[in-house]
Amino acid sequence: MATAVATGSRSPRGLPKILRSPTTARILFPFVVLGIWYFIYYTLDSRIFPSPQQVAVFMWEEITLTSGVRYSSVAENLYVQFGISLMRLTIGFVIALIVGTIIGLAMGVSKKVDAFFHDWVMGLLAMPALVYALFLGLALGFTNLGPIIAVVLAGAPFVIINIREGVRNTPKELIDMARSFEVPQNKVTRHVLLPSLMPFFFAAIRYAYAIGWKGLVITEVFASDRGMGWTIKFWYDAHRAHGVIGYAIFFIIFALALEKLVFDPLAERAFKWRPKIDAVQMAEGDFGGVQREGFLFIEDQEIDERERTASMESESHDG
Amino acid sequence: MAEIKVEGLSKEFGVGEDRVVALENVNLDVGGHVFVSVVGPSGCGKSTLLNILSGIETPSSGKVTITQDNHDAEPGYVFQAARLLPWRTVMDNLLFVQKDRSDATRARCQKYLEMVQLGDKVDKYPGELSGGMQQRVGIARAFSIEPDVLFMDEPFSHLDAITARSLRRELHDMWSQTKKTVLFVTHDVGEAVELSNRILVFAKGGKLEDDLQIDLPFPRDPAEEDVAVAKAQVLRKFEELDLIAS
Ligand SMILES: Nc1ncnc2c1ncn2[C@@H]1O[C@H](COP(=O)(O)OP(=O)(O)OP(=O)(O)O)[C@@H](O)[C@H]1O
Ligand SMILES: [Mg+2]
Repeated sequence: MATAVATGSRSPRGLPKILRSPTTARILFPFVVLGIWYFIYYTLDSRIFPSPQQVAVFMWEEITLTSGVRYSSVAENLYVQFGISLMRLTIGFVIALIVGTIIGLAMGVSKKVDAFFHDWVMGLLAMPALVYALFLGLALGFTNLGPIIAVVLAGAPFVIINIREGVRNTPKELIDMARSFEVPQNKVTRHVLLPSLMPFFFAAIRYAYAIGWKGLVITEVFASDRGMGWTIKFWYDAHRAHGVIGYAIFFIIFALALEKLVFDPLAERAFKWRPKIDAVQMAEGDFGGVQREGFLFIEDQEIDERERTASMESESHDG
Repeated sequence: MAEIKVEGLSKEFGVGEDRVVALENVNLDVGGHVFVSVVGPSGCGKSTLLNILSGIETPSSGKVTITQDNHDAEPGYVFQAARLLPWRTVMDNLLFVQKDRSDATRARCQKYLEMVQLGDKVDKYPGELSGGMQQRVGIARAFSIEPDVLFMDEPFSHLDAITARSLRRELHDMWSQTKKTVLFVTHDVGEAVELSNRILVFAKGGKLEDDLQIDLPFPRDPAEEDVAVAKAQVLRKFEELDLIAS
């Protein structure tokens, strides 16, 4: 990586630095999407497919409550619908975290518990949210309970596999070190075991949250008369694509905001000990011992690995 | 006074085809104010011996006791790799192995960090240090509990020659002032001769092949003739025992 940068800066005809930065790429992305959108809009010439400004106007009216649309007698606007979904998500998410952590810990510690739950967790992971959305609708009718259970069913498996992996990756060499210095068990738990679990716990939180949302929305489409999922369906039934797309964008904005305003700062605080890239390269370069016993790097790689598998799993989960 | 007694110690890993004999019927009696080096080819069970003595591994058979004035001795261990908590600062890594966090304890930790030239790095995380610095934190950690016996597994092998040399001197001074028992694994015969009263020679298969006494006055300068001669004698012994791969 360092080499690429060096070569780039030496080449006078290379792109200016500001154009090559990741921030620029990030800012560029919405414009690319917008361009493609306009392109499709003008080539398709469809009455259904909305223009970006139609969607923007729709979203603005929803935000300012000036659209005049009454969705139902109970819940009438973006904020109420959103509040309902958020409440369901939060409750389900907390339950998924608690239940998932307990089961994940038990599976990581005991082979028997692992054997007991394993196939069911994998099965649940592979099950499309649509299946339990329909089932919950049939079983429970249009209640809060159905969508909450959907969030738990969608999120808990991710918590379970991440926590289980975390327990299996406890840094044995550090625990041995603590034992040789006769450090009491409660101190080992606080200073070795829990910190080593943190990266896995954070991965669990992020996935449970993202997948929980998806499970929730699908369930609200089929088994609820309120919430964000239901609202999207409302616009679908009304053949108003700008409503569907507008709400999808509300979704994306909220997800990104939570990521940036809550998860990232939390992770930043929890992982401030993580070496910056330069430090990693230095340690890898000049001290084989660190690389061999420094599970820190291995752990990073494993997290990446799991993020990959987990996202693959989430794809199959959606299907 | 600390005393290490090892009787009929054997250690095997794995079963069937994977079975590895790391140590075979080792008998050893190390007591009092001695500096003992452990040498031998890679894989001959040196780290395993220290792991068993420090309670990390259990023997397959045989018996190990470490006592200090008739009660259990407190060991300090410098590992082959630093083994620091990556999520704790340098100072907190030292405090982690202490019995309390009093001001006196902190001052003691600070003192040993200064001894390894890391007095200004107390608030850094291990990931922000170089490999050699991390290794020195590991050394300071073992010293900071002022243990009865000190196990060191190739502590200086990753360091540059100058740092290694000054730490060797510090180690020697500390050993002579505190009258501790030190068990020191090394690949470097010169280092072993410079520091120890006694050199245990292990061979492949985990057998204790020889037990050499080095009766020269301290401090020993590797440039002096009698030290060089002793080193040559030890190397000759290695050849006799067929330990040096040709
Ligand atoms: N936890 C373990 N599981 C299985 N085998 C092991 C384990 N620890 C050590 N061994 C084996 O026991 C033998 C002795 O290992 P040990 O680490 O004690 O060697 P060493 O003398 O310290 O070598 P080096 O000088 O390379 O550090 C080796 O063959 C090693 O493969
Ligand atoms: Mg070793």
